[in-house]
Amino acid sequence: MFVIKIRQFRLALNSWSVLSIVFVILLLLPNLNILINVFKAPNENWIHIKRFLLQEYVTNTLLLVSFTGLFSVLCGISLAWLVAVYDFPLRSFLKWGLILPLAIPPYIAAYTYNGLLNYTGVIQTFLRNEFNIHLNQKYVDLMSVEGAIFIFTMFLFPYVYTITRDFLEKQSASLIENARVLGRSPMEIFLFVILPVSRAAIVGGASLVILEVLNDYGVVQYFGVTTFSTAIFKTWFGLGDVESSIKLSALLLLVVFGVLLLERVLRGRRKYSYTTAKVRPISRIRLKGAKAALASVYSFAIFGLGFLIPLLQLIHWAFLTYKNILSVDFGRLILNTLLTALLASAIIAVVALVIANYGRMNESFAGKICARLTVVGYSIPGAVIAIGVIVFFVALDNNLFWFYRLINPDSAKLVLSTSLAMLIFAYVIRFLAIGFNAVETGFEKVGKRFFEASRMLGMSVTETFFKIDVKMIRPAIVSGFILVLVDIMKELPLTLLLRPFNYDTLATKVYQYANDEMIREASIPSLIIIFISAVSIYFFNQVVDRGER
Amino acid sequence: MKGKLSKILISLLFVISLAALAGCASSVGGDGTGSNKQQSNAGGGEQVVNLYTDRHYDTDEELYKAFTAETGVKVNVVKGKSDELIERLKREGKDTEADLLITADAGRLYRAKEEGLLQAVDSATLKNSIPENLRDPDNQWFGLTVRARVIVYSKDRVKPSELSTYEDLTNPKWKGKILVRSSSNIYNQSLLASFIAIKGEEWAKNWAKGIVANMAREPEGNDTDQAIAVAAGQGDLAIMNTYYFGRLLNSSDPEQKKIGESLGVFFPDQDGAGTHINVSGIGLTKESKNKENAIKFMEFLASEKAQKQFAESNFEYPVNPNVEPAELLKSWGEFKTQNINLSKLGELNSQAVKIFDEVGWK
Repeated sequence: MFVIKIRQFRLALNSWSVLSIVFVILLLLPNLNILINVFKAPNENWIHIKRFLLQEYVTNTLLLVSFTGLFSVLCGISLAWLVAVYDFPLRSFLKWGLILPLAIPPYIAAYTYNGLLNYTGVIQTFLRNEFNIHLNQKYVDLMSVEGAIFIFTMFLFPYVYTITRDFLEKQSASLIENARVLGRSPMEIFLFVILPVSRAAIVGGASLVILEVLNDYGVVQYFGVTTFSTAIFKTWFGLGDVESSIKLSALLLLVVFGVLLLERVLRGRRKYSYTTAKVRPISRIRLKGAKAALASVYSFAIFGLGFLIPLLQLIHWAFLTYKNILSVDFGRLILNTLLTALLASAIIAVVALVIANYGRMNESFAGKICARLTVVGYSIPGAVIAIGVIVFFVALDNNLFWFYRLINPDSAKLVLSTSLAMLIFAYVIRFLAIGFNAVETGFEKVGKRFFEASRMLGMSVTETFFKIDVKMIRPAIVSGFILVLVDIMKELPLTLLLRPFNYDTLATKVYQYANDEMIREASIPSLIIIFISAVSIYFFNQVVDRGER
Repeated sequence: MKGKLSKILISLLFVISLAALAGCASSVGGDGTGSNKQQSNAGGGEQVVNLYTDRHYDTDEELYKAFTAETGVKVNVVKGKSDELIERLKREGKDTEADLLITADAGRLYRAKEEGLLQAVDSATLKNSIPENLRDPDNQWFGLTVRARVIVYSKDRVKPSELSTYEDLTNPKWKGKILVRSSSNIYNQSLLASFIAIKGEEWAKNWAKGIVANMAREPEGNDTDQAIAVAAGQGDLAIMNTYYFGRLLNSSDPEQKKIGESLGVFFPDQDGAGTHINVSGIGLTKESKNKENAIKFMEFLASEKAQKQFAESNFEYPVNPNVEPAELLKSWGEFKTQNINLSKLGELNSQAVKIFDEVGWK
């Protein structure tokens, strides 16, 4: 009996650790042949890059990252605070409406805002034709570092908002109420209670924003802002030098790890998990009069800029162009998009849970490393990952060829690498960080006492996981799932490169039009992406809400 | 009980990974276009040709359908950016399923050739339909449509008589007047590469330097945005490709149409080397497994019927001299083109990129 118990215990422990390590190795393998390039001696292009490109690119990248990070945090946390702690008109709508900007890919937003503001845009056309007012183009030109910061902030801040809001709503009730009882003003509570306790959530959200900005190619290329990622692409494709471009990617990767490490060090040993067993929603204060109006106007203005205005512009364009693109088979595009996104999101949810649970149980070095490595895919530009994944899958196919032959004697060599499996695998590498972040924040919130209690009462890790942990962090899993789902629907470089023959998604359709300078024609597929994303955001918001009650 | 749960977990993962595989099999195989299926049928049964392309016009798809209707050969397509497709071809090596590569720039075709990804095609039809300078000297790639990189000017502020050559754009009289997109764009890289080929590196560098000095603003946006900025009065001249201008004139937005009409097209260097042109072109991959079909498809695209549709739908010029360009393009008049072999554009591409960096053309 005792022996069986030990064996079961070891089995449970092993399956988590082994699975985690297997997953992490799978994540890293495709990137290995890329990382090897880092250690090769620099060539003459590298000297050119260092001399002419690096300095300005680093400056611009730092500007973009720091300001977007700052503004997203300001926007995200102030909105999270308003929505979590106060009641005001439109609150129940804005509560989930403020996640909607995530449904709009930043590069579409960039094209849309430029279309709106430029000389032939609605605003200037109206002023010109109705009032004969000619604006100085300098003041309406969005295509600059500042413009890029605006776009990134408006369409990425929900990463901070959702994670922080979720945290505040469920975690801070006693703290906030105690502070109120002790006579602290709302501003003091915000500064001295909310900010410090939600630091983990804020940092988690902000790091996603920063990684997303570092990785963006669409917005910066269109706006003519030279950044690290434009340098990577220019080196690769302009100079035809993969080695140097991968060196640049590796530099980027180092910076990312540096940032994440710094965050860990800063946070130190502090854990912001719950100290009482009772999860109690916060009682919201109803705002009145001017304050209520201010809260509504502020939140709605951000909702307008981040969702409503671009949406209306796209709808307008859709009316202008729908006749041109009626022949497009949107049913098939939608089906393809959903199929890949749902499948990949589900896999990511499982992988994230396994690794996060392992990292939590096992505070050893290995556990921590596994957790940190989940971010690797998110910090390498999509196109670079794509190439790594192709090499990996072609090798896989070569090794599995005998097996394919066994099943089908006429089988071609490239089976997996011409199938959707490759694309989905790449999605998992790329977006695991987002799912993992959500799950990890969920675990942190719950803390370890339930887990420990359950273990003490004789349940195995696996049993505890299914019976206690998963149930407690379900909202976190769900919110991670939505973020990943929406992200995959917007994703471009991987989809473009890794999809099988004749496999189009909504995003690739949007890309085709936008890349050919037909942004108006891109409006309908864009709208479908936004619609599906919005519906999933709404639907899952309901689920999260129900989970709270 | 405990063992059971971990088994459940493992089987769950297994099911998901199976679902992933099944998902691809069913979705890819579902419409009979799956690569698995086509591979196994490559010997007999269904006839296919597999295409990697960075042309994404919906109208191109009609051409593919027409080809299938004519020959019974199905065209399978992967679309993407040319550079990335080339990289993919390279990594897939001899196992690639792709038969043909289409890119919207001769320089990229040259790169594919240099990487050893293409093979020569000996076809009298292709040689007869495509002029010599628009195809590879070793017959590894063939141009399909032509576009010119021209000057678009404000009819209000500039008289065509003031315009002459690309070189003239560096004249201080145009200070603060010139609009052009960033140097990371392939069209600018090919333009500069053509100058290096014709006039030498020194000349090209001075030209780039002169343009930077005359720019109305730092490069931003795409070709169409440059034309809009001219209409808005941010500058007087834009360097852009002809088909974008054609599209502006035919925009679904009346306001864009209107500003298109306030602009004129000028073909530079008519008394000198001629206007810079580039092509969309096609090459047969070295490892092509459907070679016969692929060549048939290439010949189809060069045929008069296909050329007309190919070029007309996107305001490009046909390569086949027997086919007349679209009415709009004819209205701009005939023009003399640079007479270099376009493979030069690829050969000199990285040199051009370096010059841009050195003179600070963003």
